Amino acid sequence: MSADGRHEGLAGTPPNPDAALSVRGLTKRFGSFTAVDGIDFDVPRGQIFGFLGPNGSGKTTTIRMLTGTSGPDAGQALVLGEDVINHPERVKQRFGYMSQKFALFEDMTVEENLRFYAGVYDLSPDRFARQREYVLTMADLHGRENELTANLSVGWRQRLALGTATIHEPELLFLDEPTGGVDPVARRQFWDLLYDLAGRGVTLFVTTHYMDEASHCTQLAFIYRGGLIAEGSPHDIRRDAITEQVIEVSVGDVDAALDWLEREPGVEEAYLSGARLHAVIDPAAAGAGTSGAGDPAAVVADYTGRLQRAGFADATLVTVEPTLEDVFVNLVARAQQP
Amino acid sequence: MIGDAQSRRRVRLLMWKEFLQLRRDPLLIRLLFVMPILQLVLFGYVVAADVKNLSTAVVDLDATSTSRALEAHFTASDYFNVTEHPSEDGVQQLMDTSRIAIAIVIPAGTQAALDRGETAPIGVVVDGSDSQVASVGSGYAAQVIARFNAERMANSGVVVAAPGIDARVRVMFNPTLAAVNTMIPGLVAAIVMISIMAVMGQAVVKERERGTLEQMFVTPIKPVEYLIGKVTPYALLATAQLLLVAGVGVFWFKVPFAGQISVVAAGLGLFMLTSIGLGLLISLVSHTRQQAQQLMMLLLLPSFVLSGFIFPIDSMPAAIQPLSWFIPLTWAIEILRGAFIKGSGFEALSTQFWVLGVFAVVIFGAAIAATRRRLAE
Repeated sequence: MSADGRHEGLAGTPPNPDAALSVRGLTKRFGSFTAVDGIDFDVPRGQIFGFLGPNGSGKTTTIRMLTGTSGPDAGQALVLGEDVINHPERVKQRFGYMSQKFALFEDMTVEENLRFYAGVYDLSPDRFARQREYVLTMADLHGRENELTANLSVGWRQRLALGTATIHEPELLFLDEPTGGVDPVARRQFWDLLYDLAGRGVTLFVTTHYMDEASHCTQLAFIYRGGLIAEGSPHDIRRDAITEQVIEVSVGDVDAALDWLEREPGVEEAYLSGARLHAVIDPAAAGAGTSGAGDPAAVVADYTGRLQRAGFADATLVTVEPTLEDVFVNLVARAQQP
Repeated sequence: MIGDAQSRRRVRLLMWKEFLQLRRDPLLIRLLFVMPILQLVLFGYVVAADVKNLSTAVVDLDATSTSRALEAHFTASDYFNVTEHPSEDGVQQLMDTSRIAIAIVIPAGTQAALDRGETAPIGVVVDGSDSQVASVGSGYAAQVIARFNAERMANSGVVVAAPGIDARVRVMFNPTLAAVNTMIPGLVAAIVMISIMAVMGQAVVKERERGTLEQMFVTPIKPVEYLIGKVTPYALLATAQLLLVAGVGVFWFKVPFAGQISVVAAGLGLFMLTSIGLGLLISLVSHTRQQAQQLMMLLLLPSFVLSGFIFPIDSMPAAIQPLSWFIPLTWAIEILRGAFIKGSGFEALSTQFWVLGVFAVVIFGAAIAATRRRLAE
């Protein structure tokens, strides 16, 4: 289990039936490999809950258990107050699910896809007519009802998939990497749709490895190697997870500077962040030998000098607020230490 | 489990979806209907014609009324076309150049031996390079000789206690248009296997590949509803194919149907369950359609070759023959051929029904169990 006190507070307590999701000790093993290792968390209703982690960390496995398609080896899970592990049929009508594959029938038209999922959720003709209108408007597909979904571009397919996943107006929506392979503009539009859903009271459970998307969420949980390593609001996580100073380095030769930073004393972590470099500085080691040890400005001045002496004359340094990516890299590095 | 109205609605919805998707694949549909017809025509005309007019050489070293009467029997038969009368040494060369497929050698002294009441050996030389010709041709030759014997016996007034056991066996060997008559039942079984196992299996894998399977199982659709909705359209498709093949067979090739519909239906039903099971098992272990395709070929090829669908099991090496027992298609074909050609009922085919029944229960059961487990993983 994680070192973070928040989850240990939940461990051992009964699951909370008022939450949209309440998970206790959820575990899934595949042979000798533990994909999900006794995780505990609650998602209050109305949240946009971001479930973050690198590929293979257990995000999809967790979703599969929470949607009742995969049975856990241990633990409890309440979805909208119902025991989804033993009685998934009680709650399947009330949640929706959208995967990274969009899962539309590509050899069927827009209209046929809508009709199929409306039938699956047993919508009345009136309600189907209303929801169909809503989805066509939302996905901007008016006039293209009879087109095969295979012929739609990715952004449209993604919005249609969201439409079919919510055609029965679920109270809770699982989204498994919903923006994978979608361009930034379409991603932005898609998040607008998600905000719109959240505004109508739908709880969203979103997995992603895009850190910029994580800041759209109201609550976050980081999963790494099957265990939760941090949980809280984006603000809390940024504040609590990193006490170290993060320096952003702008330099011409990024690759060489990265190599240099990784070997330099006092640098805990160095990694690319966009076109720049981020370095996490150990406050004790940083500034050692200078008068202003621990003072952020002094640390920046110290490392600027060191970089310039190492031949990176164009390097400019500035202290930045840790991004979620910084937090994540830091947490993973800490989790990897024995 | 499938009793309530909601469940039935969902099954109907899944079937509607499946038919829509099938209709969107016109190439597949055409292939599924053209392929069996093409196969029928190929086997019906090409194979049948070959075995019908075998080029035959007669080497008459006896040159008596008996030897001429025997040759006349061969000439009169539809199966042999006596084109050559070489010397004994000339046979080899005629066969090497494929001018004859079979040679009948009547040794000197045949009539004399028969008159003494002894057995007279007749040489039948068959071109073994075509196994079909070899097995069928030698069988027909034995039949002609047996008929000749029987006539001689009848004319001489001698009563034989057990005449021509060999001859009786050969009469059942499908005397007219052999290939089409045995082909139709085999083809019917093969169609079930292809349409249900291969085509349906592919459809399931496609659904896994695209993620729609995963999507459907987070909805209220239950696994059993999915299975019924998936299998029914392909079973109907297979039935349509069967009717087409049977229609062409009966009305065009004049294949007689001697059997009971119930026997055929029961055999096909069991074989359909087996095929559904195989298709599901393949779709469970395959991650892509290519993998599934290769696995299907791996199953289809030995099934077609070893089941007696194309080559008679009797003509296989003895060591290979037991392999055919482990192939469900073998038993399905035996039931269908028995029912079509011989009019056999359940009692006569009880062994075949038992074996196929065990296959159906084990394979279908394993597939359902594995599917459920897979979905619960």
